[in-house]
Amino acid sequence: MTKMMPSLVMLAVTASLVGCGQSEVQDPKVTINKNPYPSTYQVLPSSKTIIKNATVLTGVGERIDNADVVMVDGKITAVGLNLIAEGASVVDAKGKWITPGIIDVHSHLGVYPSPNAESHSDGNEMTSPVTAEVWAEHSVWPQDPGFNRAREGGITTLQILPGSANLVGGRGVTLKNVPSPTMQGMKFPDAPYGLKMACGENPKMLYGGRKVQPMTRMGNMAGYRQAFIEATEYKRAWDKYDADYAAGKNPTPPERDLNKDTLRGVLEGEILIHNHCYKAEEMVMMIDLGKEFNYHSGTFHHAIEAYKIADELAENGNCAAMWPDWWGFKMEAYDMVLENVAIVDSVKNSCAVVHSDSAITIQRLNQESAKIMHNANANGFDYKEEHAISWITSNAAKSLGIADKTGSLEVGKNADVVIWSSNPFSVYAKAEQVFIDGAKVYDHQDERYQAQSDFLLGQE
Amino acid sequence: MKLKTKSLVALTVTACLGCLPSFAMADSFAITNAKVYTATELGVLDNAVVVVTDGMITSVTSSENAAALTFDNVIDAQGGVVTPGFIASMNALGLVEVSAVADSRDSHHKNADITFDPSYAYNPKASSIAYTRKGGITRNVVTGAGGEDMFAGQAFLVDLSGEWDSVKQSNIAVYVKLGANSEGSRAAYVQELVTKLEKAQKAQAKSTDAKDKSDAAEPELADEIINELLAGKKPLVVAVDRAIDILTMLKIKQQFGLNMVLIGGADAVLVADEIAKANVPVMIDAMRNLPDNFDSLHNHLANAGKLTAAGVKVILTDMGDSHNVYGLRYSAGNAVANGMSYQAAIEAITSNVADTFKIDTGRIAPGKTADLVIWSGDPFEYSSQVVKMFIDGKEQQTKSRHDKLRDRYMTQSDMPRAYSK
Repeated sequence: MTKMMPSLVMLAVTASLVGCGQSEVQDPKVTINKNPYPSTYQVLPSSKTIIKNATVLTGVGERIDNADVVMVDGKITAVGLNLIAEGASVVDAKGKWITPGIIDVHSHLGVYPSPNAESHSDGNEMTSPVTAEVWAEHSVWPQDPGFNRAREGGITTLQILPGSANLVGGRGVTLKNVPSPTMQGMKFPDAPYGLKMACGENPKMLYGGRKVQPMTRMGNMAGYRQAFIEATEYKRAWDKYDADYAAGKNPTPPERDLNKDTLRGVLEGEILIHNHCYKAEEMVMMIDLGKEFNYHSGTFHHAIEAYKIADELAENGNCAAMWPDWWGFKMEAYDMVLENVAIVDSVKNSCAVVHSDSAITIQRLNQESAKIMHNANANGFDYKEEHAISWITSNAAKSLGIADKTGSLEVGKNADVVIWSSNPFSVYAKAEQVFIDGAKVYDHQDERYQAQSDFLLGQE
Repeated sequence: MKLKTKSLVALTVTACLGCLPSFAMADSFAITNAKVYTATELGVLDNAVVVVTDGMITSVTSSENAAALTFDNVIDAQGGVVTPGFIASMNALGLVEVSAVADSRDSHHKNADITFDPSYAYNPKASSIAYTRKGGITRNVVTGAGGEDMFAGQAFLVDLSGEWDSVKQSNIAVYVKLGANSEGSRAAYVQELVTKLEKAQKAQAKSTDAKDKSDAAEPELADEIINELLAGKKPLVVAVDRAIDILTMLKIKQQFGLNMVLIGGADAVLVADEIAKANVPVMIDAMRNLPDNFDSLHNHLANAGKLTAAGVKVILTDMGDSHNVYGLRYSAGNAVANGMSYQAAIEAITSNVADTFKIDTGRIAPGKTADLVIWSGDPFEYSSQVVKMFIDGKEQQTKSRHDKLRDRYMTQSDMPRAYSK
């Protein structure tokens, strides 16, 4: 507060000037650059393409047999039967399946890369319980070989998140899975930022072990609330500055705070919450926390107990991003059921997502979804491929705030496409060709489309 | 939908649906009309009959030759697949309830050394055991993670019946972790191993020479174990990834006549021929394909298939896992998708494990213990489920508390769910 004092003085002075009827002399308006590390992503070389005769899963509930998909200038321009695309290169996909590019909402590729050398461990700023000021994008090592392996599994878009050590861990970034020497070259243009938060055991165990708050779950809640109280004040100060300036006054801008910039972005709806939260009771408290501070509580990640509160999640518009079967590694992961995703999904207006949180399983989110679908179908559900694919395409896109751009094979969407050797819900299915914005980025039969990390190049 | 899998099998003994693991079938029964993956040189038998008598497989034959067989009961598999029960290995199943809950975790001990016998901590009632049966796994080679010593201790064999007598044999193998090490140089650990073996060899020679055996001191347990290794009585399972380290291990095997098994083997493909020549089995995680460190730059999904093709006996393992061992069959499916033959993948989770650790299951052949699984389809596929499972010829169920939780939250009730059981 002491740093705010000069500005209060300034305000008093300017008010008196206005009072004297003199015209205000305004300093240049102070605005915060919300995009200081902008995307430099360029679409890879592409040509007009028609993929013919495949079983197409659109990502939004439809299955079309013997269908064609047309990609022009990076967009899907047609999906349907017996399409004609003059001058297009033709890919015969008879007997194969086509899905939208797969999206992983929870990855640490680049921030916890392979090799997992100490020098590369850049995903968790474990120095303070609220580190909203750190941005995962500043840790991304684009040469992580995991990006290439993930692409070979059909991953076209992924959100890189900070780890879960802190109550507020920092910003996540959404990347297109294209090889690039820079993070900016991968950055998904116009995707909203995410904010990683974490419930439960991780923050309280880490900081409790250091004898600082939070040591308990009530300490966790106090920590989030305190952070958002301060962020609310910060937002108010900027709102007042903006309003005063607009009114012709010459206010002193609030002192910039990197941490609160991000939390203010949440309060303004520009940054989406991605909350590591396992337990039913904690997720519902986090929903209330969002209501207390007037922001949306976003997507719950891991969400082992989401099935216990499926109705509440749907009612409040929360996505739940889940594994099929991880469990038992800590107490909050004890009540896993193999049908978690299926139960969450079965409620109207739900948003069930399958995520990886793993450099290994990100390579086969299709199989992770297959595991769920078939286990559920053996236990009272009746899910079909055309629906289950939404868990790793359209619902994932919705969670990341990019559903208007990708996640489905609909006319006008980005041409992010995977051609699978067979039904992608089979253990034997392989991604044969992968397209991002209509450009081929992987071909299992053509080495020219098999990217290799600098790190692995020339290793014997 | 719910009965899809069960409907495949018309049961003569209908009372056995969902029966307790302790329920014993009648003295003998036949599984008929089955596609049998024998994991023997007979390969796959279509339309076959498997007879089990007193917990042992007594006959495996085609249906045409089955007329002369006698048995008390029939289970018609209706064309379904029958495999040997899968054998998982080198994981901590049953040693850990919740990994992050210290007092429920018995796989580590700071002072663990070559004598560490984690079988004393095995809990057949751990919630992960019934869950693991969902994956068609009937037997498991369990190992601890050890402590500060390079020897992580001894492995032991269990069946997954969940019964009090689940531990079938303790101290079946010795587990040593070599290769990349963040504490000091790997050279020192390899040297330590060699020194121990040499010392034991010399001590043996001395005691053979000694005229009066009664003077010889009673050997310590650690020495006895080393002696067993030198006699090739049990495998020394060596965790190592880097190719040059593997070659070093092969030399040590040769020098001391050890019964050696490699685990990890990320870069084993670089020296596959040498490994095959030395007749050393390799245990690998088929899903591991990233360069975790500088020892594993050649990790690849195709490695299981490449090693097999080079003549190496491959075992697919879920090393170190404690809760999702059930997914072993999916690893096998991925190995097949990446070039391993189907037969080799079946063997890699049945007969190869059995041979390496001297387990009396893993094949469907007369004289073998009857660990059998009837599947609704291809056992490596997500769409397939276990229809029936037998351990020692006794039928098992595959329900775990996970199913109870699911059922509780899928049943509508006016009262809180806590009242539904």
